[in-house]
Amino acid sequence: MVTVETKVRELAKSLLEEGKIDYLIGYEEGTLPLSMTPCFIQAPEEVSRLVYNPFCVQNLAKYVTDVIFSHRENQRRVKPEERAKKVVGVVARGCTSRSIVIHLLERQYDREEVVIIGVPCDGYVDMRKLKAHLDGKEIVAGEVKDGTLLVETGEGRGEVILSQVLSDNCLVCRYNNPVIYDYMVGELVAPRQGEEEFQVVAEFSQLSDRERWEYFTREMAKCIRCYACRNACPSCYCRSCFVEQTTPRWIGLTVDPSDVQLFQLMRLFHMVGRCVDCGSCSAVCPMGVDLRTFLKKIDYDGWKLFKNRPGVSLEEPLLLGTFSESDPEDFIFHPK
Amino acid sequence: MDEAKEKIWEPKIVAIVCNWCTYAGADLAGISRIQYPPNVRIMRVPCTGRINPFYILKALQEGADGVLISGCHPGECHYLTGNLIARRKFAMLKSFLTYVGLEGDRTVFTWVSASEGERFAKVIRQVTEAIRAIGPARKLVKGS
Repeated sequence: MVTVETKVRELAKSLLEEGKIDYLIGYEEGTLPLSMTPCFIQAPEEVSRLVYNPFCVQNLAKYVTDVIFSHRENQRRVKPEERAKKVVGVVARGCTSRSIVIHLLERQYDREEVVIIGVPCDGYVDMRKLKAHLDGKEIVAGEVKDGTLLVETGEGRGEVILSQVLSDNCLVCRYNNPVIYDYMVGELVAPRQGEEEFQVVAEFSQLSDRERWEYFTREMAKCIRCYACRNACPSCYCRSCFVEQTTPRWIGLTVDPSDVQLFQLMRLFHMVGRCVDCGSCSAVCPMGVDLRTFLKKIDYDGWKLFKNRPGVSLEEPLLLGTFSESDPEDFIFHPK
Repeated sequence: MDEAKEKIWEPKIVAIVCNWCTYAGADLAGISRIQYPPNVRIMRVPCTGRINPFYILKALQEGADGVLISGCHPGECHYLTGNLIARRKFAMLKSFLTYVGLEGDRTVFTWVSASEGERFAKVIRQVTEAIRAIGPARKLVKGS
């Protein structure tokens, strides 16, 4: 059987050779076992670096904006008549393609500037879950075979059922096939039902105000403000971010808990109508801050109040970019 | 000490109002000599659609006990749709702040038109009383 990985390599090679793309963004082996990192390929002979497996965590749409924006900046030194656009190829799962749709709706680049190589996705492995499953034993190597993960740890071999260590967002994912693509590699997979999609929100809402605030402050107290979540988020593509602005200085650079809380609240709120629940922010967080419980609420409200799902179609306008006369108004205060 | 502080505590409310309706409404309340509590600090913006949710959170962090947002009634916006776009944003914001455990009642959204001086005074009176009932802000406040 020809794997998706080999097909991706073949397709990438032919696209690069034919000059249909100038740049390819995919995944390659990282330096640690079972960790895959983004890779950037310009020469057809380098495609052997490409991999695709359930350890590919990052949402690659982030790097599409990075590559296109830095290319655009370089082009400033070129005479206007000689300026050229670069076409970026990207290996895209469901969530990556949704992020690209959001970029396109927000007019960050043209549809012609990106070639989407769609890949099916059955979810990726949450390394935190896997480590907890192995009682913190050091992972030396591992591979996936028929839904089972064979891992070699420092103390011997072990078997883990893949579905037990998949990331939370993947378990309830409705969009595991790309929503837009130019080439589809591999077969489309059956979408997950995602019945419990908003269960985390329902459960959290059951708690009292005090418990919710306590949970929020406890989680945010872990945050060291490394901004890894922002750097990994495909929707956080602003060249100048509010956390670094000095006029006005939105967020104080102190250790006061309120500054961290404010940073997190604002970053979370910037995700209104733009979060595709790809899980990149949670995956890269070195402190394991639970961001998903809060992000999911934004997703839930967008769906419940405005019937909007971020990035599922190029026809549907952005949540905050549009309005309706009949939008809910029950929160408006009217004096007696 | 704390008890004495509580006694003299007066709610501090930041009102972010639009230039075309509510600010004129407040002006009308003033020239008509309608009395309302002095707890409110008015900040004028061109349109409610221009209000960054950050203003609201920043006000709460810097010590405001309540934030009042007021603009033109839907359909009466000077810029035609600014308040309708703002309405969506605020619906999301209020729900989100309540969800994380902040008192959602500290942020109040309303519409006051330029001819509604009496309504403006009423809003300020009732919001001040509502914030007074909730008490001083303790969450998200810097240095607390």
